[in-house]
Amino acid sequence: MRSVLLLVKISWRNLWRNPRGTLLTALALGLGLALLLISLGLLDGGHEQTIAAGVRFGPGHVVIQAKGYQDSGSDELLLPAQVVSRTEAFLQTPELKQIVRGVSPRLLATGLLSSSANSAGVKITGVNPQDEPAVSLIPERIVEGTYLSNDKPSGVVIGSELAHKLEVKIGSRVVLMTQALRQPGNDTKNGAGEEMQSTLLRVSGIFRTGLQAVDANIIHLPLPAAQALLGVPDGQVTQVAILLQQEGASPMIARALLKQLAGEPVEVLTWRESIPMLAQILGLDHAFNYIMNGVILAMVGLGILNTILMRVLERRYEFGVCKALGLRPRQLAVMIIGESLALTAISLALGLALGLSVNHYFATSGLDLRWIFKAGLPPALVFDPILYSRLSSNRIIWSVSIVFAMATIISFYPALKAARTELPDALKAL
Amino acid sequence: MLGEWAVKLKDVRKTYRTGSIEVPALRGISLQVAAGEFAATAGPSGSGKTTLLNIIGGLDRADAGEIWVAGQNLQLLSSSELAHLRLQRIGFVFQTYNLLPVLTALENAEFTLLLQGMPARKRRERVEKLFSEIGLAGLEDRRPAELSGGQQQRVAVARAMVTEPALILADEPTANLDSASAIALLDVMEHLNRVTGTTFIFSTHDPQVMERAHRLIRLRDGQIASDETRERQDAGVTARGDAG
Repeated sequence: MRSVLLLVKISWRNLWRNPRGTLLTALALGLGLALLLISLGLLDGGHEQTIAAGVRFGPGHVVIQAKGYQDSGSDELLLPAQVVSRTEAFLQTPELKQIVRGVSPRLLATGLLSSSANSAGVKITGVNPQDEPAVSLIPERIVEGTYLSNDKPSGVVIGSELAHKLEVKIGSRVVLMTQALRQPGNDTKNGAGEEMQSTLLRVSGIFRTGLQAVDANIIHLPLPAAQALLGVPDGQVTQVAILLQQEGASPMIARALLKQLAGEPVEVLTWRESIPMLAQILGLDHAFNYIMNGVILAMVGLGILNTILMRVLERRYEFGVCKALGLRPRQLAVMIIGESLALTAISLALGLALGLSVNHYFATSGLDLRWIFKAGLPPALVFDPILYSRLSSNRIIWSVSIVFAMATIISFYPALKAARTELPDALKAL
Repeated sequence: MLGEWAVKLKDVRKTYRTGSIEVPALRGISLQVAAGEFAATAGPSGSGKTTLLNIIGGLDRADAGEIWVAGQNLQLLSSSELAHLRLQRIGFVFQTYNLLPVLTALENAEFTLLLQGMPARKRRERVEKLFSEIGLAGLEDRRPAELSGGQQQRVAVARAMVTEPALILADEPTANLDSASAIALLDVMEHLNRVTGTTFIFSTHDPQVMERAHRLIRLRDGQIASDETRERQDAGVTARGDAG
């Protein structure tokens, strides 16, 4: 034990034989950790923002639909009214109310929207005007007019591209034509469910999201108007979209809902299941970033290896003397590993201080990407161009652990080299 | 002369090989050094002085022959056993002092005691006593860079002596010292030899140092050219080395 303390003392003092070299090496390794933390913070923050935007243009963090809707996309598959009311009641419980940000029942269908100038195929979204703003981003992206309200029962909100195509503006009249929905198991031989229905609507708001698919296709109209047009009984909808305060709570809420609605013909999906493409893109981005982080770590690792190895080779004579005095190879190896770990500890402290400071800045002030797009934001940019870093304690622990483990493993080779110092050759080195 | 052997060599041979070139360093050395002797090996460069000390100290292995040190046949010991023997029974003094630059004089001197696992108080007492005996008192906290060559070499001698070894091997210990420092160091070594009975074998090519040796073994081309023993001026030396 005493000899181990001596070795630790020698290791620590050896580090400060060349303080500038030690600090530079520690800074290089620390910079690697800081880069890792900054990159992970921005990556997670960016993903969080992308998910936040993605789910708000889509079906929320969690969605409840009639069983089979996700695969078939059939407009006829509707949620029974009692499922909607039970879901809303369940999510109103005090514990869940803190987690849930918004709940919006939606009726989805396809139709044809015509103006006096033109017509276009559209995706109809019937919503409750008071519920939808808590879930969807579309109400926030109104560029002309206002979003739907209960006092405008025949209002419709359309995207800017659609407005341009139809050559309509706020207050213009449009006709929405669609086929009345046929309820499964409720087929009529006379084909009453397949009748074309139409209604006259007035453009109350125009939105612009930057997403061509949304701006040219989606229209929002009040749920009662949509239900009347599609011949859907009151209370029935296609889906209930749920937005949560934290994305991480999605699986838990989905499980709770599934349990609550057990026995009902429904499917409860998290955004990863309802928007698989978004999940795949983020997964791909994660994989790419892991590779980049691997490259950073490899470069830092080679730097450590080079530094420690050089320190060992420079001190071959000293190790020879230690061995001659009776120091065993294992003790020499412990000394080198101790030295490397001490260097790593200093580096980690520097890296953590630097990485967490920069992360704190990016988490509070954000990384403003607008300077990249001086000529104007690209139309497809759906998220906030100011990127906010999000770094979880798990990420910090993971990063510190991986750098520490890497440095420890890397120090084995120089330690082995020192332990294998050959006598009496090493004593001839000077 | 004492009847117990600190070192006993029998027909020791060593050849260095560099590619196809063979350089014989020792060609059949047979030698006995009694416990408590103050002996010097002398000879020109390449005569085998350092090789002989390295083999006696277990730093190098002979190709053939028997080497007995402190009662053990070195040829039969593993590397680990040799390290243990060096730590417990042999002290080394090198030409270039070889103190660990990051440790103070006191820490350097107690280095081997620490490796032996001796408690701190006992360590400190022993080193301080030795330091005052060899004129290093007051320099305990200085790093090697803050000491003169002569002082550093005395610290090296203290490091070698502090474990109370049976044998001290010194490879040209005065080679880097001026005359005054060399004489002072020899005084210290001779004093310790006289007081403790520790066996000293040192190599040198300095006539001044050879004169101080009680036994002078001259080497030439890896063989013993002459072996002179001089009358010791002091008496009553107590041997402490093990029999070989």
